[in-house]
Order: sequence, then C-alpha cells, then structure tokens
Amino acid sequence: MTTDVVRAERVLTKPQVHTRPQPAAKPRPRARTRSRLDGAAGHLVMVLLSIVCLFPVYWMVVTSLRPANATFETSIWPTSTSLDNYVYALQAIPILRMLGNTLLIASVVTVIQLFTGLLAAYAFARWRFRGDKLVYSLVALTWLVPFQVVMIPNYLLIAKMGLLDSVTALILPHFASALAILLLAQSMRSFPREVIEAARMDGARSWRILWEVMMPNLRGTIASLAILIFISTWNEYFWPLLLSRTPANSVVQIGIQMFMTTEGTAWGPLMAASTMASLPILFIYVVLQRQVIQSFMKSGIR
Amino acid sequence: MNRKLPPMTRKTFLIGTLALLASGLSLPAMAEAIPATIDKPVTITFYNYNLASAGIGAEATRKLIAEFMAANPKITVEGVPYSSADSSRIQADLAAGRPVDLVQTVFSDLDFAVTNFGAQALEEIIPADEMAAHFKGMFPNGLKLGVLNGKTYGLAYTFSTPVLFYNADLFRAADLDPDKPPKTWQAVKEAGLTVMKKTGKQGFAAGITGPGAYDWLLQGVVRSNGGEVISRDRTRLKFAEPEAVEAIAMLKDLHESGVYQNADIASALDGMASGNIGMYLQTSAIQGALIAGATNKYELRSSTMPSFGDKPVRPNNSGSALTIHAADPLKQRAAWELMKFLTSAHGYTVITSEIGYLPLRPAIVADPNYLGGWIKAHPLVQPNLDQLAVLEPWDPMPGPNYRQIVKTMMDAVEMVIFGNADPAAALADAEAHAQDLMP
Repeated sequence: MTTDVVRAERVLTKPQVHTRPQPAAKPRPRARTRSRLDGAAGHLVMVLLSIVCLFPVYWMVVTSLRPANATFETSIWPTSTSLDNYVYALQAIPILRMLGNTLLIASVVTVIQLFTGLLAAYAFARWRFRGDKLVYSLVALTWLVPFQVVMIPNYLLIAKMGLLDSVTALILPHFASALAILLLAQSMRSFPREVIEAARMDGARSWRILWEVMMPNLRGTIASLAILIFISTWNEYFWPLLLSRTPANSVVQIGIQMFMTTEGTAWGPLMAASTMASLPILFIYVVLQRQVIQSFMKSGIR
Repeated sequence: MNRKLPPMTRKTFLIGTLALLASGLSLPAMAEAIPATIDKPVTITFYNYNLASAGIGAEATRKLIAEFMAANPKITVEGVPYSSADSSRIQADLAAGRPVDLVQTVFSDLDFAVTNFGAQALEEIIPADEMAAHFKGMFPNGLKLGVLNGKTYGLAYTFSTPVLFYNADLFRAADLDPDKPPKTWQAVKEAGLTVMKKTGKQGFAAGITGPGAYDWLLQGVVRSNGGEVISRDRTRLKFAEPEAVEAIAMLKDLHESGVYQNADIASALDGMASGNIGMYLQTSAIQGALIAGATNKYELRSSTMPSFGDKPVRPNNSGSALTIHAADPLKQRAAWELMKFLTSAHGYTVITSEIGYLPLRPAIVADPNYLGGWIKAHPLVQPNLDQLAVLEPWDPMPGPNYRQIVKTMMDAVEMVIFGNADPAAALADAEAHAQDLMP
C-alpha cells in the first residue's frame, strides 16, 4: 500500500464522521453511560480479584506480627503486634544465610541454564545434522520426566563426588533445562533468515551470530525465560530436602518447612520466615511486572 | 579348555562337607562381639527427624547430643536430619553406601526398618546383662513397644499416648463440669452436643484421619472396642471385623450428630488452639502448640482417651523408637551408649519436659531431681502418664507396601466417618484390597 493510497483513504473516511446525521448521535449519552458502567464493572472485578490475590499476602504479614496467643485471631487488623516471630525465626534457623544461598543458587542456575539453553537452541534452530529431530524430541521428553524420578540417581552421583550437603550440589543437576532449550529454539527458528545471511556475508560465524545478532534481538524472550528459571529455582524444594543436611547449606524453602513439626506448626515464625522469603520475589514482581506477565504468557503457566 | 577335571573321591567329598559344616557352624561365633568400651575415636551418624525441624524437638535433641559428646569425648555424633514422611534420605544414603548408625524410627516404620534398613535386634548385638541393667526401672509394656517377632529392635524414645484435651472455659459456658471430663465416647457425644448448643462452638475434633495422621490413633480406638486392625502374627488384616466396624461406625455417628468436626490434623489443632473446639483427641506431643494458643485466652485441660462403655481403654503409643543400624562393633557400642544416654533418667527428663513426650522410667516422675517439680507445674501431662500402665504397641504393617496398606485402610475409614459409605461394606472392600498388598 503506497502512501498516496493511505492518504486517499483518510480523506475518504474523514468527512463521513463529520457529516453523520444528528439523530444518530442521540444514543451517545446512553452509550457513554454504558461504557462507563462497563468500565466500572471491569474495574470492580479487577479490584475484587486484586483483593483475593493480595489478601493471603496481607494475612501472612499480619499473622507474622501477631503474638503467639493471638495467632488465630480473625480480626483484619491485629489487636496487638510484636516482632517476636521475626526474632525467633532469625534465631531458630539461619534464615539470612538460607536466603543468601537461595539467591546465589537461583542466580547461578538462571545464568547457566540460559547459557546452555542458548547454545543448544542455536544448534537445533540453525543446523541440520543426523538425528537432530530425535535429539530434540529426547530433550522435549526430559521435560515430561519429574525431577523426583532422577533424584536418587543424582544423589548417588553427588555422594560419589563427595559433594553432599553443599551449595554446589544444589546447582549441579540444573545445568541444562529442557524448557530453556525448547523456548529459545522456537524463538530462534522464527528469527529472520535474511538477517543471519546478511551477518554471514559480513563474515560473522556462528559464535558471533549467536551473541551479536540473535541474542540482542531475543532480549525479551531471554528476560522472560530468566524470570521463569529464577522463580522456579527459588521455589525448589525436593532436591534440597534430600541433599541438604545442615540449615546453613540449605535454602529458604526448607527453612520455612522447618517450622512445621510433629509437635505442631509454629505459624507465627513460619509466616515471619515466609514474609522474609517472599520479599526478593515480590521485589522482582514489582520491578519487572510486565516481563513477568509476558514470561508466563509466552511459555504457559508452569 | 576341555581338560577333564579329576573325579571327586569319597575322601575329598567328606573333607569338603566337614569343612563346609564347620564353617557354617562357626558363623555366629565369627561375628565380632561388641567391645566393652570405646578405646579409640569413633564417629556415628544419628538420623533424627526432630533435627529436620526448627522447634523444641530439634533444640532438645541438639542439647542431648552435645551433652553426650561432652561426657563421651571419644564418640562424635553426627546428627543427620531426615523427613519421617518418606525416609528417602535413609534409603538414598544406604544406596550410596553411607553409614547409617542410629535412627529415630517412627513405630509404624519399624518392620520396614528391620527388613530394609538393617535395624539390628538388640539381643543379637548387646550383652544380655547390659541390656537387663539398662532396662531395669522401665515400664515393662513400654519395652514391648519396640519388639517385633520376639526381638527388641527399638527402644521407645519420643513417644506418647492419645490425650483428650478440652477447653474448660467452654465447658463452664455450657454448664458442664470441667472437673468431670467425658470418660466414654457416649459422654463425649453428649458433652459435644451441649457445647455446640450452648456456646455455638464445635464440640469435638480428633487427629484420627487426614494427611499425616498415620493409623496410630485409629488402632487405639479400634482396640478399645475389643478389635484390632491386624492379627497378632501380623499376617491378616482385621479392620473390617465387627469390633472395628462398630468402633468406626461410632465415629461416623459422632460426625453425623454434628459433634465430630471433619477437619484435617492441622486445622483441628489450630481450631483447638484458638479456643473454637470443646474437645480434641490427639498426641500429647502437641500440647506445647495448644498451650501457646491458650495462654491468657482460655483454660486448657486434659483427660485420658475415652472408652467404649465399660470396656477398658487400650491406648497405643505414637512417636518413635531408637534403632541401631551399624554393622561395625565399635559403632554399635557407640550407638548403644548414645541410646542408653537418650533413654536414661536424664534423657527422658529432657524429652518429657522440653518436647512434651513421655518418660519410660516411672521412678523419675516423682523424683525432684528429674521430673518431680516439672510435673507438678504441668498437670496436663498426668493423663498421659496414667495411660502408660495400659499402653499397647502401635502395630507396624508388614512388607514393602506397608504405607499403601495404611493408606488404603485410612482412606476407607475417612470415607466411612465423613462420607456416605456403608461402614461394613467399605471397610470389607478396603481390607480385601489391602490384604492383597500384604507380604
């Protein structure tokens, strides 16, 4: 479509708006009211949904501030507040160390999975080699295998390496992610071939094409994937539960679970620990809200 | 390669047979005896599920381990936390060839621990006189809790009995006498209905069913009606027999009358702690959590497990035993020393006063050097102590499918109590399925 044609269309459509007969404009106030009502109803639904989503978070914080004998009070606003639960949680488990471990593990795993994912995805997207589809299918199949199935063999391997109860061992089995490979391979396949061919004609080889041409253009996908990997690793539970023997070498999810005992659940300290544990993730949501939503929309809710 | 082997002569055969017999006969004698003392440094692992928590159980355990190591400088104890929910760490460590020396084993896991985790019978590794000396002063029926197939595999460590906690303030508000708590299930029903009618609060809750409930409390209820969930030789399931069906139908009636709340363990505990339930049947181990909720809110009291009319109450224990898994004699000695320390008068004093379990030694209850003063200040534990004299073992289900057997039984029980299932038919169906899972 040329510019002249577009201009011509605009010229043709414009007068139609201005020459609309007066009676046709009559329903306007009603339509406006209806539109306003629709907007208000929409907002009301969103407000209600927000309350539903935020209330558990609010209740977690409020419960963490209630003293032990007021834990089960149902008043919306606590009748008395205390920081005892935070003090106890900080004393009972090395929660700051656990938070540090979790942050380190989640960050390292995110970087490593993105790196291995980018390399593998490039190979699958750009090269045709014997058995490539089979290997790709096998990678996809591993996504369907729950981690619990390979947990014990992984444990035996880690034990042989003498790495039990270490932060390194919590990272090792997460060097590659099928989700990262599949998601990145799909994005790379839809990357314009012309751009890659142009880069190749300029003398760039695969390494440069990947890092200097493709990666900058896949920033959105990579950011979304990074958020998904980070949150998923942050919430990892079973592997640390099996592997970690000391709280100092464990992660915050295990720390939270430690307040659920055979002698009853210490709700106050548990909520205090949960509040502290959710702060980094809440921070990520607040700062990268749009990217987080996009990441879930792109990959489906995992 | 085709060379013919020389024919075996009669003499060779006889010599060979004698040698085999001799080696076979001498096998028990060859097993290395446990040393009398620890002469060189040794490290043992102590797999403990209390250590996997952040509560009073972990603090008391760490304290006891530290005291033991201070008193036995040649023994190093490595406390290994594990989840009793699946014991996956013990399985994984055994598969990885790591040493598993002493374990805090849940009583329902005892059979599996013996057949799969190499738990040792104390009679086979500890000199009889030493065992007799340590067992002196313990409740005889308490010692039976860890006996399986006639041998002592476990020594009761953190264990308890079912206690009926009740809210004395709700009783008063309902014009019930808090000094006369219900002693029978019929009285529980009547008191529950009165509490509901006059206070609007829930009448009764129990930790019998739901996730993580195990089957220990159910076993006590069924047994108190003259039934049992499994035969004494542990070959046949019996939870669909008339006495068991009657006991479970009584719980169903309690629910249908509105008295027995359908709540899982955590919700029921929270409901009782918050003062919204009149009575709550559960292990005494949770009394710390209940006290925390009741402090300055309402008066918490306790009573013994209810009976079926005139039939005697036959409670069984919950909790754990200590089992020795070490094969090395030196480690066995170290594990035995730790086991003795943890089940000593001092050990049980810490376990009772700091965690909320029971002492297996009655003499320390009144002794001011041990629990005397503490028991006076904590009368809630008294009904628990009263039940020690009639305590019976929590029967572990046999075979590798033991957890599935328990789950099949408990699912059916839950369906009967809170659902529309016919008690006799549903339990018979579940029993038939579960029996197929028996070894």
